[in-house]
Amino acid sequence: MTCGIVYDPSYLAHEQSSSHPERRERLSYSLDQLEEEGIFDLPQIKLFLPKPATRDDVLLVHTPEYLKFLEDASINGGIIDSDTYIPRNLIHDALLAAGGAITGADAVLNQEVTNSFVLARPPGHHAGRSHGAGFCYLNNVAIMVRHLQRRGLRRIMILDWDAHHGNGTEEIFYDDPSVLFCSVHQYPFYPGSGRFEDIGIGDGKGYNVNLPIPAGSSDRVYKYLLEEMIIPLADEYMPDAIAISAGQDNHFTDPLTGLALTARGYAELMKEMCILADSICHGRIIAVLEGGYSMEGGLPYTNLGLIAAMAGLDLSAIREPEIYQNLLKESISEDAFPQVVKMISELKKKLAAHWYFIQRY
Amino acid sequence: MFAGIDIGDTNTDIAIIDSQISTYKVPNNEGLNNALKKISPGGRLAISTSQALNEIITGHPADIRTINIPGPGLVYPDAVKGAVSHRGDIIEPIDPEEIKKIMKGQYAKAVAIAGKFSVRNDILEKQVYDIVSHFYSDEQISISSTIGALNFPARIHTTKLNAKIKRKVASLIKKIHKVNPDFYFVTSTGGLISPARVLDNPMLLYHSSPATVANGAYYLSKNDNCLVIDIGGTTTELVPLKNGKPIYETIIIDGLKTLIQAVSATGIPFGGDSCIRTELCPFRAGSSRSFGGSEPTLTDALNVMGARIGDFERSEILDRTSAENAIHKYLDTVASAVRDYQPEILIGTGYLAHYLLSDIAERSNTVGIVPEHAASANAVGAAVSKVSLEVYIHVDTERKRMTLNGMAYPYKETKDDEHLIAYATELVREIAMNEGAPEEDVEDIKVLYFSSFDVVRGWRVSAKITDMILAVAPGISVEAL
Ligand SMILES: [Zn+2]
Repeated sequence: MTCGIVYDPSYLAHEQSSSHPERRERLSYSLDQLEEEGIFDLPQIKLFLPKPATRDDVLLVHTPEYLKFLEDASINGGIIDSDTYIPRNLIHDALLAAGGAITGADAVLNQEVTNSFVLARPPGHHAGRSHGAGFCYLNNVAIMVRHLQRRGLRRIMILDWDAHHGNGTEEIFYDDPSVLFCSVHQYPFYPGSGRFEDIGIGDGKGYNVNLPIPAGSSDRVYKYLLEEMIIPLADEYMPDAIAISAGQDNHFTDPLTGLALTARGYAELMKEMCILADSICHGRIIAVLEGGYSMEGGLPYTNLGLIAAMAGLDLSAIREPEIYQNLLKESISEDAFPQVVKMISELKKKLAAHWYFIQRY
Repeated sequence: MFAGIDIGDTNTDIAIIDSQISTYKVPNNEGLNNALKKISPGGRLAISTSQALNEIITGHPADIRTINIPGPGLVYPDAVKGAVSHRGDIIEPIDPEEIKKIMKGQYAKAVAIAGKFSVRNDILEKQVYDIVSHFYSDEQISISSTIGALNFPARIHTTKLNAKIKRKVASLIKKIHKVNPDFYFVTSTGGLISPARVLDNPMLLYHSSPATVANGAYYLSKNDNCLVIDIGGTTTELVPLKNGKPIYETIIIDGLKTLIQAVSATGIPFGGDSCIRTELCPFRAGSSRSFGGSEPTLTDALNVMGARIGDFERSEILDRTSAENAIHKYLDTVASAVRDYQPEILIGTGYLAHYLLSDIAERSNTVGIVPEHAASANAVGAAVSKVSLEVYIHVDTERKRMTLNGMAYPYKETKDDEHLIAYATELVREIAMNEGAPEEDVEDIKVLYFSSFDVVRGWRVSAKITDMILAVAPGISVEAL
């Protein structure tokens, strides 16, 4: 298994302001960790430099008016919402992030690597067709998915495991059965959307699967969701590729969210997804970084764990330093698991008409 | 006075430069002490030792025990407890009993200790070192932090190689100190380094001959863009120069990356001592007949064709056709490698350059020059090199920590990047001058890399972290020009 890493030092350039949580420090320690582990010298790893997305690429997803707005606001700066400013020159960084996702997808499609991980900033999954939100400007994953389809792939599954609901991506594909959008997120939480009842409309009905989970959800919850919903959905949908909106803000040390996934949990989740992808779509996975704000205790270990899983490396030493053990115990809620089991049984009733694997039982 | 010594595969070359250049050749079997005695004390002495070390480094694997402190992350062999974070904090302690247990009943020849992120804080490596030093002498233990750069697997590998050669380097230092107490070694990039600093990272001496040849050929010919052809006893090295400088590359040994840079060169396995058995062979079977050996060599072939090298009558055991064929094979092999570089001009060095360079140049459609003293260009290169340093610097304003090549230095508040670079530059200059570099050689300290970012906690910038690489580039000392 070879894993492509898409990265360019320019991915550190974007900052809304020096104290904003979505800042270059997010990647700095992770890159130190990757460099110290000698990741880029491994035969299982190939480094790719991102090419910026073109206007045509962006217009596969976003409206011309919105793109024009971003371009204009990038000249003198602007504002989208209270969390999302447009710093000068934003469009350059946003196009490089979206282009990185495309670079990662091309590397997989051209069979240069089995899968790829795009360490892009700024993130994208809150950006809809005609608006940005929540630190996001262009929807990197959505643009990449449309690019895959432009290159001939028919069905794409998106797994969005960022702690926040991927409302932008949901909006873009809500009526589209050629994209199965599946989001695991803390609920209730920002941005407020992501109820399990929202299953798509029109032809897309049944192809939008929200998996809202309560604060305190641990590795066990994610493993359950994987086995109970995500793998069966993928097995039945038979996508040509799997896109992952890889937000690392589910980690128990994340200061902005309340979930309790560990670095090893992330790595095992990715390992399962790689096994799944191997069995249904030639291993094709393109993972794109979304959120994740635990700069020191989380991101270096989760990012390394994900890459190690995608490259087929030994995961047995993927963990946080022991000093975080108490915090982990405090972060896990015992109530979360039964609530999730209940949610899944409700969700299955909602989706039963659309999925054979649910009807069987 | 500048003196340079190059210990080659057959001969030791000596160059002494004061108002004029004098060069000597001493066969290795006469011993290093004889060579050292030719140099009067008082001047600066630089020694290139690559040949002696190369054999140990690339030779059969020695029994080296590695102790790795990886902490969280990927899986490494020989791991023990303990962890340092990317910030340089000790986040998990070592277990002294675990180390003692490993050491008891340990028969390895040397021990290599490497910790992840030890370049940000070397305390854990030092703690392990202290325990290991109850069982092994300092000359048998190497640690990784002084290598300076991030890349744990490459540091593990480099530390292991350091442990393998440290004892030999230490004994060489003692031997030379007895005759000449004040000397430098030449590194693989062609810079000078003090014996004390060499012991922190002995691999810096690996394969220094292309570097000394590059410096020597440039000094003797003042040719900025050329291909240097150094014809030695067992190999011929091609070393390209661009704008007066060689090209550097990372050394790979046993298929693994090290953190050592060396001057890029193409080695051809033929030289003056290559023996002739039906045809020219890529190995040495003793000296040339004209220097008392038993089998004829490329040098003997040149004598048969009219040269008068050494006791040339002894060469005549070889018939003319075989001699001609051997020389043709040599010229064809070298010329074909030369053509790959498409050089404008060839500079020949080594003791056979006078006899072979014009034919090589003709066969590769270029022109060749053999400068005066070319026969000992490597020793000249050693003599004229300058002290060089490459320093990896990490600064954390919250932890008030500053490390230079893994070693803690006094932290100082600085108001901006420029101020910080100025402070770091001063420290690097001091290190170089303490090693005896003249002021003119350390005026130009280059910033090879600079990156810094803000640490934000609670929506406030609470600190700044900076990584940089500063260097006193290798090359020719201003004093020698
Ligand atoms: Zn998020």
